[in-house]
Amino acid sequence: MATVSDAAPPPRSSMLGVRLREAGWGYAFVAVPIAVFGLFFIYPFGYAVYISFFHWGILGKQAGGSGTFNYSKVLHDPIFHTALKNVAEYTLGVVPLTMALGLSLALVINQKIRGRNFFRSAFYFPSIASSVAITTIALYIFNSDGLFNRIIGSQTPWFTTASKVTWAIVGLNTWTTSGTVMLYYLAGLQAISNDVYEAAALDNTSAWRTFWKITFPLLRPVHFFVLVVFGVGALKVFDQQFIVSGGAGGPNYSTYTPVLYIYRAAFSSFDFGLAAAAGVVYFVIIFAVTLVQNLTVGRREA
Amino acid sequence: MRKRSGVLLGLLVALVLLAATAQAATHRAAVTNVTLAGWSSGPDEDALLNQVIAKFNATHKTIHAEFSVINGDYGTAMTARFAAHNPPDVFYVDSSVVGAWERQGVLQPLNSYVKTSKYDTSAFFPSLLGAFMSGKTIYGFPKDWSPLAMEVNKGMLGQAGGKAPTTWAQLQSVAQQMANKNVVPGGKPICLAADWARMLAFIYQGGGSLTNLTSPAVANAVSFYVGLISKGLAVTPDKLGAGWCGEALGKQKAAIIFEGNWLLPYMKSTYPNVQYGVFPMIKGKTGGNLAFTVSYSMAKDAQNKQAAWTLLSWLTSKQGQTIWMSKGLALPSRKDVKAIGGRQAFLSAAPFAHGWGFGNPNFATAYTVMNNDLAAVISGSKSVQSMLSDAAAALKG
Amino acid sequence: MLQTSVATSAEPYIPGRARSEVIRKALAYAVVILVALIFFVPFVWTLITSFKTIPDSVNVSLIPHPWTTSAWRTIWTDYDFKRYIENSLFLAVVIVGCNLVLAGLGGYAFARLKFPGRELLFLLVLGTLMVPDQLRLIPVFVMLTNWHLIGNFSGYIFINLVTATNLFLMRQYFLTIPKDFEEAAKLDGAGYFKTFWRIMLPLALPAISTLVILQFQGTWNDFFWPLILFGQGSPSHYTVQLGLAELRFTYSTLWPQICAGSLIAILPVLAIFLAFQRYFVGGVVSAGVKG
Repeated sequence: MATVSDAAPPPRSSMLGVRLREAGWGYAFVAVPIAVFGLFFIYPFGYAVYISFFHWGILGKQAGGSGTFNYSKVLHDPIFHTALKNVAEYTLGVVPLTMALGLSLALVINQKIRGRNFFRSAFYFPSIASSVAITTIALYIFNSDGLFNRIIGSQTPWFTTASKVTWAIVGLNTWTTSGTVMLYYLAGLQAISNDVYEAAALDNTSAWRTFWKITFPLLRPVHFFVLVVFGVGALKVFDQQFIVSGGAGGPNYSTYTPVLYIYRAAFSSFDFGLAAAAGVVYFVIIFAVTLVQNLTVGRREA
Repeated sequence: MRKRSGVLLGLLVALVLLAATAQAATHRAAVTNVTLAGWSSGPDEDALLNQVIAKFNATHKTIHAEFSVINGDYGTAMTARFAAHNPPDVFYVDSSVVGAWERQGVLQPLNSYVKTSKYDTSAFFPSLLGAFMSGKTIYGFPKDWSPLAMEVNKGMLGQAGGKAPTTWAQLQSVAQQMANKNVVPGGKPICLAADWARMLAFIYQGGGSLTNLTSPAVANAVSFYVGLISKGLAVTPDKLGAGWCGEALGKQKAAIIFEGNWLLPYMKSTYPNVQYGVFPMIKGKTGGNLAFTVSYSMAKDAQNKQAAWTLLSWLTSKQGQTIWMSKGLALPSRKDVKAIGGRQAFLSAAPFAHGWGFGNPNFATAYTVMNNDLAAVISGSKSVQSMLSDAAAALKG
Repeated sequence: MLQTSVATSAEPYIPGRARSEVIRKALAYAVVILVALIFFVPFVWTLITSFKTIPDSVNVSLIPHPWTTSAWRTIWTDYDFKRYIENSLFLAVVIVGCNLVLAGLGGYAFARLKFPGRELLFLLVLGTLMVPDQLRLIPVFVMLTNWHLIGNFSGYIFINLVTATNLFLMRQYFLTIPKDFEEAAKLDGAGYFKTFWRIMLPLALPAISTLVILQFQGTWNDFFWPLILFGQGSPSHYTVQLGLAELRFTYSTLWPQICAGSLIAILPVLAIFLAFQRYFVGGVVSAGVKG
């Protein structure tokens, strides 16, 4: 089969034309998405950056001049520090667990076992329910005298004990999110052609080695995707902490997350400037984390 | 020839249409639309409010009021609408946020409307109306109110052999008797919420107040409240597997709780078989209670302020409020409206009730600090003094 | 060695591995059944509770006592769930469709087309993932109010035309497809759009299925934005989630009704999942490259 590289290289002028055409089509394809993101994410973020330098209330700018006072308030606020600590603990727990569980479930489902359709649905099921529904159910099951405690013989009210609540939420969210991660990994596994496995079989490679040396590395684009999307999602966690603590971030600030901090600054204290500053600071933190991910896991294939 | 008659016909049609729309427009202009927004605490409340609105619309031909319930985060939804200058005309305002909303400038001062329509403001209980005033400016009229009372499981009280307590000392001794006789298996005699929205009543009973949180009277009251928990006579609802103390009473994991009016419909629908009695709130050095109240207020950016005022004043008038009180969902905020029977225990709190979050614009923010600290105090990782100074600082803003 | 059949499993049969295969399979079954049980618990509880009376719904019992269908009847008659489902369905179909086209095109461009600033723009796209909803609520709401796009579905559809997650997903998937396909297409003289539409998109079936399932579910379960953008007027605009919220009150929750409503809410999502999950199966790629 003849490939493009076998032919003689085309003249320079038409190569430029080809490149221009390609660029034109490229821009055309991304135009609408970029417009949507610009309007509904970039502009609001720019707006937030702007108002973060003022005292800003519900109806607009308030007296007090401009400056970096909101930023220094956020950066020196012990509650913000606690929120950062809480979300770090949460993220470092939930992301690896969800990825591991999701990948395991995908590998299992990918086997030729009977009833795989049924199991696929079963694993995905907790992900289907809405955030509020599943958290309300979890509150019921993880009551101090609920189903879970009856099975393991404990009395701890998981969602209202300061030292346990973060891990209770990690458990809850791993359970509801791993089904979704499983889907992403399943899609990725389908993209690996069978030749690869056949070659490994020919070399008499064990199943474990096949997985670690071949499957796992080939799933890199999926790893990157899951890491970024669910990592950022974990850093933005809000619903569960909000429902469990009634919006107060307690008990004793144990469910206070940075997004809750932003929310309270905006909708409880009506200090939009402070909320904006917190939002900008946190955006920078998330961006830095994602950049590291991009540079390590996200490298394009050669 | 056909073309010209066609044009004439077209003109005629256009003329008729124009006349019709003009008629419709003038007819429509005669009816002003006013939007009313609030939240709902139960299916009974929904039905009752719709009844009230229907009565208003029937008796006011030129105004059409439309009520919409906001079934989620009321504060956030309203904030967004205020920011977009597109709020409902009339809406609920909780007494704990009225100070902040007023400071943000989203509420319409009502004094001029009161004057021109000669609205009788003296019919309202002064402490309740005062919750929604800043100085002499009125920002809303209270639609009802609820204090706390003491609810006791009749069977368990009988087993402990005591009468319902009326003072702090009696509360402790009755609870002690209950504990000794193990009258509440799997639970504790008293359920106390880790919430300033309950503890503050005890602070007032001890002679303290929100304005001087670092006084010994306040520290004393807090120590009594938290002390009941550390003595094993009381416990927070989550340790009983309940979301709030009402649920604990229903599950029969607690014998004595302190909740408001809203407990009654809840127990009736969810735990109809539990026998309990409603008693007046206990006294410390003095009587002390909280008044949870909500107002009808008008938006600064309301479209038709005169019509909105007509709705607002009617809802809080004797006529409107009488309909609203017919199910006994709360207590009347007007002196000339009777509460339905069986609410004596709540009514007796009236002289001692202090407004919840009255007027302080930093209240919502401070409340979060106060409750987080209280949880720490109860679990033993924070001192009472430290919490009180945090709270005082947060209230000052 | 030509592969002419479309494989349905990623694991080829390897002769001589029979015994370890059986053990592995048995273990897999055991784990899978246990995990499935755990994952099914909420469904079972929800179903059972929906047939209880309100006082009974607070018990942890497995059998309703007494047994009643009043919750289901209330849902259908007192609350207009039929209408809510129609609304949710409409929004989900429209938004999934738009996302499919726009994320597909955009993802393909970011993966395969070269244009100046591509990586920077992509970083921008990723950046949008990092702006929390709570932060952008007010500016977006004010913008949509000024354009009169609130109170009806148009504003909501507009902000959800395409999401960064979906675009990112398609881009990642297109990156895994070997370049041979496009080069073959180029030799055949296909233009960029044709290459995308006729060749790349069909190859991305697993990613498309994922997108459809997850975006459908995301739109179906969305509560916050619908509440803010069109959930404060008449219930004729309510989605299923807004309808469910009608059943939650401050001091009492109509548990049986919420369970019944939640189950009604879950069914369409489950149906979409069951319909599209079969597209995960298939070594379409391996079948297409050879020959």
